Amino acid sequence: MKNKTTRFLLTSLIGVALLCVCVFGVFAVHMGNQSAVTINQVGTLYMSSMSQQTSVHFESIIGIQMNQLRALVGTIPSDAIHEDKTLQQQLMAQAKARDFEYLGFYGSDGSFEMLYGSQLTVTDPKPFLDSLNKNQEKVAIGTNAQGQKVVLLGMPSPHPPTPEHDCAALVAGLPVSYISDNLSLEENSERAYSFIIRRDGSFVIRSNNAYRNNYFERVRVLYEDVNGLTAEEYLEELNAAMVEGIDYSNEFTMGGERYHLYCTHLPYSEWFLLTFLPYGSMDSIVTGFSHEWSSLTILSGTIILTALLLVFYKYYGLTRKQLREVEEARQAAEAAQKEAEHANRAKSEFLSNMSHDIRTPMNAIVGMTAIATANIDDTQQVHNCLKKIALSSKHLLGLINDVLDMSKIENGKMTLNMDQVSLREVTDSIVAICQPQVKAKNQQFDVFIHDISTENVLCDSVRLNQVLLNLLSNAIKFTPEGGEIHMALFEEASPKGDGFVRIHIEVRDTGIGMSQDFQKHIFDSFAREDSARVHRTEGTGLGMAITKYIVVDAMGGTIEMDSKQGRGTRFSVTLDLEKAQVMEEDMVLPNWNMLVVDDDRQLCESTVSALGSIGISAEWTLDGESAVDMVVKRRRRGDDYQIILLDWKLPGMDGIATARSIRQELGDKVPILLISAYDWGEIEGKAKEAGITGFISKPLFKSTLFNSLRQFAQPLQEGEKPPEQKGPDLRGRRVLVAEDNELNWEIASELLSAEGLELTWAENGQTCVEMFEQSPVGYFEAILMDIRMPVMGGYEATQVIRTLERPDKDLPIIAMTADAFAEDVKRSLDCGMDAHIAKPIDVQEVLRLLDKYLK
Amino acid sequence: MTLKECYAALNGDYEEAMGWLRSERLVQKFVLKFLDDGSFDLLCRSMESGDQPEAFRAAHTIKGVCANMAFSALLKSSSQLTELLRGGDMGDQAQELFERVKADYARTAQAIQAFREEAGG
Repeated sequence: MKNKTTRFLLTSLIGVALLCVCVFGVFAVHMGNQSAVTINQVGTLYMSSMSQQTSVHFESIIGIQMNQLRALVGTIPSDAIHEDKTLQQQLMAQAKARDFEYLGFYGSDGSFEMLYGSQLTVTDPKPFLDSLNKNQEKVAIGTNAQGQKVVLLGMPSPHPPTPEHDCAALVAGLPVSYISDNLSLEENSERAYSFIIRRDGSFVIRSNNAYRNNYFERVRVLYEDVNGLTAEEYLEELNAAMVEGIDYSNEFTMGGERYHLYCTHLPYSEWFLLTFLPYGSMDSIVTGFSHEWSSLTILSGTIILTALLLVFYKYYGLTRKQLREVEEARQAAEAAQKEAEHANRAKSEFLSNMSHDIRTPMNAIVGMTAIATANIDDTQQVHNCLKKIALSSKHLLGLINDVLDMSKIENGKMTLNMDQVSLREVTDSIVAICQPQVKAKNQQFDVFIHDISTENVLCDSVRLNQVLLNLLSNAIKFTPEGGEIHMALFEEASPKGDGFVRIHIEVRDTGIGMSQDFQKHIFDSFAREDSARVHRTEGTGLGMAITKYIVVDAMGGTIEMDSKQGRGTRFSVTLDLEKAQVMEEDMVLPNWNMLVVDDDRQLCESTVSALGSIGISAEWTLDGESAVDMVVKRRRRGDDYQIILLDWKLPGMDGIATARSIRQELGDKVPILLISAYDWGEIEGKAKEAGITGFISKPLFKSTLFNSLRQFAQPLQEGEKPPEQKGPDLRGRRVLVAEDNELNWEIASELLSAEGLELTWAENGQTCVEMFEQSPVGYFEAILMDIRMPVMGGYEATQVIRTLERPDKDLPIIAMTADAFAEDVKRSLDCGMDAHIAKPIDVQEVLRLLDKYLK
Repeated sequence: MTLKECYAALNGDYEEAMGWLRSERLVQKFVLKFLDDGSFDLLCRSMESGDQPEAFRAAHTIKGVCANMAFSALLKSSSQLTELLRGGDMGDQAQELFERVKADYARTAQAIQAFREEAGG
């Protein structure tokens, strides 16, 4: 599009420019031509008039002389004779008086008889003689004895005075200068000049620079060009015009300069006047004008072109700008479209992933339900099916929770519920949750903590749990059977200040690891490495996205990852959490001597230090054999360890074997506790048999140690029951019980009376309403209402009571029924009841609810 | 025959009953009173006369009592009957379940009778 417009613009620009050049060029050329024509016309006009003037002038000066001569001829009497000296004297005197330099008789045979002046010869006598013989006045040129040119005026005389010659005319002579001076033929060379020639081209009068005798020769030699004609052609034309006696006009170039020439016949003679006008001056004026005109034309052309160019340039710029804007808009639109497509694709992917992920457990649930239905009597089978259904349901629930979390995250609605959190409780519960999975895959699981100075921090425990669970369950999921999973937790000072503590959580496994490529996408939604190895691994693919959001975006922490395919993966989470502002329990125990046995040196040191902080002196060792040695040594010194902590998994002699050996040495008194991150259900029997007193689950927080060891400080008395769970004190409260069944009433009565409540029995809803109506206001403080009763059911009774006009009509009414369906609960509440309790009657629950609503 | 043996005979859960009623004295008291309860008679009468609402209420009551007493077998059959009757079903399936309730009740009654004779005697 851009190129098209540019091309169009350029083409039209060039087109218009060319047009301009053409138009103005033609204009200029035309003007040039026109100026040449004009010069020609002007020249012709000027020359013709000038020639005519010259011609008239010539006629007049010749006419004057002719008149003089005619008068002279008039004086010759008709009877004059040649020898009449008087006449001759008279003629001479008169002629001299009239300034004729020569005077003579001209015979009809062409002979001269000079009266005075030197002998003259007519240069071209024939036409002169012819004319005179025809009695015509004529002018001709002749030469005197000295060879000088003389203008001859011939006047035919009717009375020829010559006897021996037939006298034709009286001829007077004048110097040539008379004509040339009078005609001003020798003009300034800048201007016009003239020649007088004869028909054969010979000069009669010529200007100085024409040194040849014949004009025609001069033409042949000097003329370079005669308006496109050759010299010969021009001479032919000139001759033709001379013969016909018409005027002739033309232009020629001589010596690089152009001239205009004009030829006209002169009266009284066979002569032609050639007038020349060099174009020089006129030409320069007209050419100057024409140049000026051309310059103006070119200038205006240039101005118009420039203006056009400017307009085009502006327009081009404008178009470019528009194009750019359009392009930008298009790109923006494209980007928006891409984004929309991406979002759409993401959504489609999400849906497709979701439907696949939901379908898998749903299939299991549906399938297992069908199998269970088909084998309803085979308890074992049904049990098995239910177990699988429960598992799939749990998975499904997890999936839905993840999706809800994701949508919360995407809507920015995930907020943290900050509360006091005990790191010990969090890790304990995580370990408890992971133990079954670890056991199922026969993996080595170890939890390790050290340098935990602050156990209670402010955090969202649910989300923290979620993060840990995600990391651990991934580690378990992607680690093959027999692999190792290691979780570490430690603290250091936080850069955020004294009120905070920096917590590092590290989860490490020896699993399948991740490809470099996948590591980039691990925190994306629905990211699951698509390879044969992980093909069957279940999960939503949302876990890490949620984890990252919680850690980084919500809690402001960092999450780092390090993974190698086939080697394993390590995740490190760092969080700066505020220390909980609570007084930690004053944890002090007697100054026991303890021994800690674990193959992990760090754990030993950290545990010993933790024990030290609660007042216990402890020693540690790394294996069972040395532990037994140390115990023996102490025994000899008579300074037994009072409590021994023993790791289960030890190199060489394991925990149980060690315990057995120690028991042999120490007897039964000293408590031996087994430390383990595993579920000890399996080994419990064997452990007890070996003399293990109890278990402490990893990780060993200070509080874990304190709580586990406290019992040994104040041993429980034999046979003492744990203190009865004390319910709320509701003695003396009056409660109306609507119950149609006597047995059920008695049960309720027995159980609740024992708690001090004063119960009144109503046999059905109707009775209940009546008894309530008749009671003083505020007498009954609550009603326990059965639903299924004759005469009037619990729902109706409640509705009636709620519409009574008594200030205490809103007393708490609690439904108590064998129905425990959600719709029953809902219906109870819809009818105006406050709560719902399912039978069998759980006294604690009833008391709790009564306590809640009686307040 | 001890109370525990009685529970075993009537297919109940003694521990659970102890959990709800909290003392052997109360358990024994209510077990002995169970036979005096008229709900079963009402159920039988209603089933025969085809009185569905009354039959449902009676079954529901039995269910509630059994839940408190942890008479597991009778609780199960009476619960199933209750749900059928709740839906208004008085057909063959209900009759069949009713027969089972009767059988469970008979067994329960027999066990309690035996216990009562021993306790009383």
